[in-house]
Amino acid sequence: MVEVDLNHIYKKYEGNDKYSVNDFDLHIKPKEFIVFVGPSGCGKSTTLRMIAGLEDISKGTLEIDGKVMNDVAPKDRNIAMVFQNYALYPHMTIYDNMAFGLKLRHYKKEDIDKRVKNAAKILGLEDYLDKKPGALSGGQRQRVALGRAIVRDAPIFLMDEPLSNLDAKLRVSMRAEIAKLHQRLGTTSIYVTHDQTEAMTLADRVVVMSVGHVQQIGTPLEVYNEPVNQFVAGFIGSPQMNFFNVHYKDGRMSDGKGLNLEVPEGKAKMLEEQGYNDKDLVFGIRPEDIHSEEAFMETWPNDVVTSKVVVSELLGATIQLYQEVDGTEFVAIINSRDFHQPGDVVKMGFDINKGHFFDKDTTLRIHN
Amino acid sequence: MKSYSNQRRLSLIFRYILLTLLAVLWILPIIWIVLASFSYNDTGFVSTFWPDKFTLQNYIGIFNNSQYPFGYWIRNTLVISILSMIISTFLTISVAYVLSRLRFAFRKPFLQIALVLGMFPGFMSMIALYYILKGLNMLNLGGLLLVYVGGAGLGFYVAKGFFDTIPRSIDEAAEIDGATKWQVFVHIGLPLSKPMIVYTALTSFIAPWTDFIFSGIILSTSGDAKTYTVAYGLYNMVHTTKGNATAYFAQFVAGCVIIAIPITILFVFMQKFYVNGITAGADKG
Repeated sequence: MVEVDLNHIYKKYEGNDKYSVNDFDLHIKPKEFIVFVGPSGCGKSTTLRMIAGLEDISKGTLEIDGKVMNDVAPKDRNIAMVFQNYALYPHMTIYDNMAFGLKLRHYKKEDIDKRVKNAAKILGLEDYLDKKPGALSGGQRQRVALGRAIVRDAPIFLMDEPLSNLDAKLRVSMRAEIAKLHQRLGTTSIYVTHDQTEAMTLADRVVVMSVGHVQQIGTPLEVYNEPVNQFVAGFIGSPQMNFFNVHYKDGRMSDGKGLNLEVPEGKAKMLEEQGYNDKDLVFGIRPEDIHSEEAFMETWPNDVVTSKVVVSELLGATIQLYQEVDGTEFVAIINSRDFHQPGDVVKMGFDINKGHFFDKDTTLRIHN
Repeated sequence: MKSYSNQRRLSLIFRYILLTLLAVLWILPIIWIVLASFSYNDTGFVSTFWPDKFTLQNYIGIFNNSQYPFGYWIRNTLVISILSMIISTFLTISVAYVLSRLRFAFRKPFLQIALVLGMFPGFMSMIALYYILKGLNMLNLGGLLLVYVGGAGLGFYVAKGFFDTIPRSIDEAAEIDGATKWQVFVHIGLPLSKPMIVYTALTSFIAPWTDFIFSGIILSTSGDAKTYTVAYGLYNMVHTTKGNATAYFAQFVAGCVIIAIPITILFVFMQKFYVNGITAGADKG
């Protein structure tokens, strides 16, 4: 198993003034599963393609197992890659699709046969080996693409949004397949997605990117619980974190409209110590940290808001309540026992201790 | 009130009438030629549509004509056309593939220059070509072949358009699988472009097979009828002198029918490769 080192990598496309990827610096440990996540155009695919050798690196060095790879052709980097649109060879059978890379590398016939059959068994493709890609469904095609990557036993596995063309149900089951595959093979993997659920569920470490810059690198739990800035806080989690522009003064915060809440002692002390008393801030709280239980509201009577339900989305076990209080909108995830219709007036308790404060100018999270 | 189905029927009827008219207009001259080639006459031009008397004499005659060696013409044209087909197809497909897939300096300017050059008719260069070939002492079939294949690479536009539709990620996948650019071309590009290769091969066979202008210019100097191609030879048959023209007209028509046969066979034979949707399944959807 190998490690991958991205040393301050930059990418500028010809004809652009700005860099598409800025100062990407990451050390990937052997067997690690890294997920690049970010909205469209954040440079995550570009970075992956630079690792694959499909794009040139403008600045910085890429090292695989200690060797600089900047000027090595894709075929000599010994990587396997799964593409978003599968990129199967349409004129070849599934067997030949998977065997192609092995044939080019002059593997023995029996060896090729063994590897392809083994991969087909792992991926449940045994019945399709003599079919052409055109005869397969989307999920099966994606499995072939995965198979093509695993037969080679390449030490690095690159995946570029491999699930984004599948329907929701298939995506969930393929996600589990990929997780299982990684546990089984232990290949160093880099996975690109714009779907934060995939990032959270698959990754050992997540790299959150936005407009060409790395925002945060950390475990899924770190980026979820300790986002470095407002972007990461908003991007990770669904539905996204509620943000309020508030003014903090002497243990209370208000957005000048419907929100006026008490800040618990610990948080208040932290804010004041860092000079945020009587300052404008951004307060962020996740939907699941807004509660409807009586017990919670009795504990924190000064953090209760009386609001009106605008939209109510029942998801089964939980319900997402989009609410409004004097022009301030927010969403809460509550137990579906507390079902409410649009128009209902409800009381909601904010768990401020779970919330985050962000500097209004730098958007960085304020923490100890 | 007119119902929708009546309207549809009416518009269908009009469409079929129009198509029938066009079909008749297209096929009538061909039928006329075929009929004329079987028509017995000794007076020159055939003036009736339906022959008074059927005969195979014209077909026998044209192969036994001592003045006009039709057999040689067919052989010459066939050799030139097949060679031109092979070389031109290779050149066109290679150039198109390179321009579609590889990125290099002056690619864009080259595409533009090629487009502009393509706007000039090929025969504009015939005088220059004549003198160049004369200087090289190549006013013969070899020179003619050179003329046909020399500019083949410039006809890349259609094929390039086709290659552009094959997703690049397939190439990239092959590269990551360990293929060189050449292997990508041979193992991925070529098999996927079968319809394009067939199209290119057909056009580059038919062009020399029916070409009259260049074969006329280049082969006329020799004055040796055995070195002619079919188109130029047949033209000579009805053109040389007024008297002969009419005498050989029926044989000329028979010759025209004969040269249509290989093209027809080629089309029928290659049509099955002429399929769409060969890239189905490569991509999503």
